[in-house]
Amino acid sequence: MPRPARPVRAAVPGVGIGWRHPHYAELLQNRPALDFIEVHSENFFGAGGAALAVLREGRAHYPVSLHGVGLSLGSASGIDPWHLDQLAHLVQAIDPVRVSDHASFARGQHPGETGQALHAVDLLPVPFSRAALDAMCANVQRVQDRLRRPIAVENLSAYVRWRQAEMDEPEFLNTLAQRSGCQLLVDVNNIAVNALNAQLRGDTADPLASCARWLDAIAPAHVAEIHLAGHVHCGDIVIDDHGSRVRDDVWALYRHALRRFGAVPTLIEWDTDVPALAVLLDEAERARAQARHALRPPATTPDAVTA
Amino acid sequence: MRHPVSTPCCIEDVLEPATHTQDNRPLATQQQALLRALFARPGRPEAGADDEAIDGAPLDLLDAGSAQTRRGLQAYQANGHALAERSLGAAYPVITALIGADNFARLARDVWHSHPPTRGDMALWGDALPDFLQASEQLADVPYLADVARVEWALHRAASAADARPDPASFARLGTEAPEGLALTLSPGTALIGSPHPAASLVTAHLHGVPPLDEAARRLREGLGEHVLVWRQGLRPRVGAVHPAAAALIQRLLDGCDLPQALDAAGACDAAAEAFDFSTWLTTAVTDGLVTGVHRLTAAGPNAPTQAPLP
Repeated sequence: MPRPARPVRAAVPGVGIGWRHPHYAELLQNRPALDFIEVHSENFFGAGGAALAVLREGRAHYPVSLHGVGLSLGSASGIDPWHLDQLAHLVQAIDPVRVSDHASFARGQHPGETGQALHAVDLLPVPFSRAALDAMCANVQRVQDRLRRPIAVENLSAYVRWRQAEMDEPEFLNTLAQRSGCQLLVDVNNIAVNALNAQLRGDTADPLASCARWLDAIAPAHVAEIHLAGHVHCGDIVIDDHGSRVRDDVWALYRHALRRFGAVPTLIEWDTDVPALAVLLDEAERARAQARHALRPPATTPDAVTA
Repeated sequence: MRHPVSTPCCIEDVLEPATHTQDNRPLATQQQALLRALFARPGRPEAGADDEAIDGAPLDLLDAGSAQTRRGLQAYQANGHALAERSLGAAYPVITALIGADNFARLARDVWHSHPPTRGDMALWGDALPDFLQASEQLADVPYLADVARVEWALHRAASAADARPDPASFARLGTEAPEGLALTLSPGTALIGSPHPAASLVTAHLHGVPPLDEAARRLREGLGEHVLVWRQGLRPRVGAVHPAAAALIQRLLDGCDLPQALDAAGACDAAAEAFDFSTWLTTAVTDGLVTGVHRLTAAGPNAPTQAPLP
C-alpha cells in the first residue's frame, strides 16, 4: 500500500504546554510566547464557574487544544451521550484549535451491580483486534458527527497487553484514521515507555530502534499533534507519569518523528509534581530547538536516526 | 499519565492463567474482565458471586501470570487510588482536615471501590461520601461529619454551576405587579442543608477562620444546629448559616413557590419570626449575589435545579 506523501507543513512546529491549575494566573498575567495551550476537556465540563471563566480568558490570548481523557473511544458499550454533550458545549464555547482523546476504553458496568454504569477514568488499552477497531471507528465517527469536526486520537502507554491481537498498533491507528477520518496524536513518550517495558520483559534489545520502526509505520498525513513528556523508571516497570523533563531518548525520537511527519504542532505535558511555569517554557524552547535541528535542510543534517 | 505508587492488592487472584486458546471473546466481555480486576476490592478480588455468574470470563492478557503484568495492573489500580484521593480531597478539604490526610486517603479508596465513578468527569464523583460517612460505624462518635460533607459537596457543585445573569431592573416588578406568581431568582448552585450540628460554622472555621475554630467547637459541644446556605456570589461559592425564617423562605423558592407562599412560610416559622425583616434580608441577599432578580413563575423556573442528578 503506498504511503501518503509527507504533508506540507510550516518550517518549525507550533509548540504549546499543558496549562494546569498552578499556572492559571501566571500565564494570564505574563502571557509567554506559546503557539497554543492545552487543557483537559473534562476539567471544564461544568456549566459555568471560575474554571470555565479562566479558560475563556486563556482562549482570548491563545489557541486552545482540548485534550480529553474520558470519551472512552474504545468502549464496546459506546460513547456516553452525556459526555459527548458536555464536550460539544465546550467545543462550541472555546472554538479549540484541536480536539483529541485516546485510543483507550474506560466505560463498562459496575462489577457488583448489574446495569450500573462504571467509568474507570483511566486510559485502558484495547486489544488490537478487528472487533476493537470496528468499535473505535464507530465511536470516533459518532463524536465527529456531533462535533462536526475531526478529532485526533492518541496512542497509549499500556501496562498490560491483550492476548488477542490481529494487527500491530500502527496498523490499528492507521486504519482507524483511514476509516473514520480522524487524525492521529502521536505521543512519542508513550511509544518510548512501551518499548522500555518491552525491553524489561525481554521482548526487545533495542527499544529506540523499535520506537523508530513504530514511527516509520505511521502514515504521516494523519498526524496532527505530537506529545512529549517525562517518564520514570521504577525498576520493574517504566511509568508514564508526566512528572519530569523530557528524556534524551524521547528527544531523539521526537527529531525522528519530525523528520518523518514534518513540523507537527507539539505539546509539552507535565501533570505530576508540576514545576514552575519557567521550567515548562524552557521545555517548550527545547522542543523548538530540537525541531530546528531536526528540520534543517537535508544538506546540513546527517540523516541518521540519532536515536 | 499515572502515578508510580504501588498498591497492595491480590492481583494473583484476579489473574487467571488462561488455559484456552480461543481468543474470540466479545470485546465487551474482555473489557468487563479488566474493569472487574481493577475495581476488585483489595482482599476481595472477585467483586461478587452474582457477577461471576453473569460474565465470569478470565482476564485474557498476554503473560497473564508474569510479574510485569501484575505490576501493570497494580499501576492502573494505584492510578485509580491516587485519582480518588486527589479528586475527593479537592471536594472535601474540611473533612480531610477533620479526620486527617491518612484517614481521608483510606476513605477515598473505600469510596472508589464501593461507589466507583459512573461518568468520565471526576468533578461529579464523590456525592456518595456524606451517606458513606453517616453509615460508618467507626465514625458514629462524630455524627456531624456527614452534614459537613453535605455542605462541602454543595459548595463543590456550586463552583461549576451555570453563571448567574443578574437582572437588576426586574426588582421593579415587586412594586408594579401583583405579587402572586412572582418569585425571587436565586443564584445557580443555591442549596440549603438543615443540620442538627453547626455545620456552617465548622466549614467556615476551617476554610476562612471565621468563626475561630474554638468558637466552632463550642457551638458543636452545645449542640447548636444550623440552617446552612450555599450559593454563588458571582464566580465565588459562598456558605453561611441563615436565620430559620430565611431558610424557610429560600426553601420555598427552591421548591418553585411564589413570593407570597415563601413569605407565608417565613412568617409561620416559630423561631423568632418577629426578628425576620424581609426587606432587610432582601437587600443583603441582593448584595451577596444570592438573589439575582425577580421572575414570574413558569413551568420550569430559573430556580429549578440546573444540574440534573445523575441517573
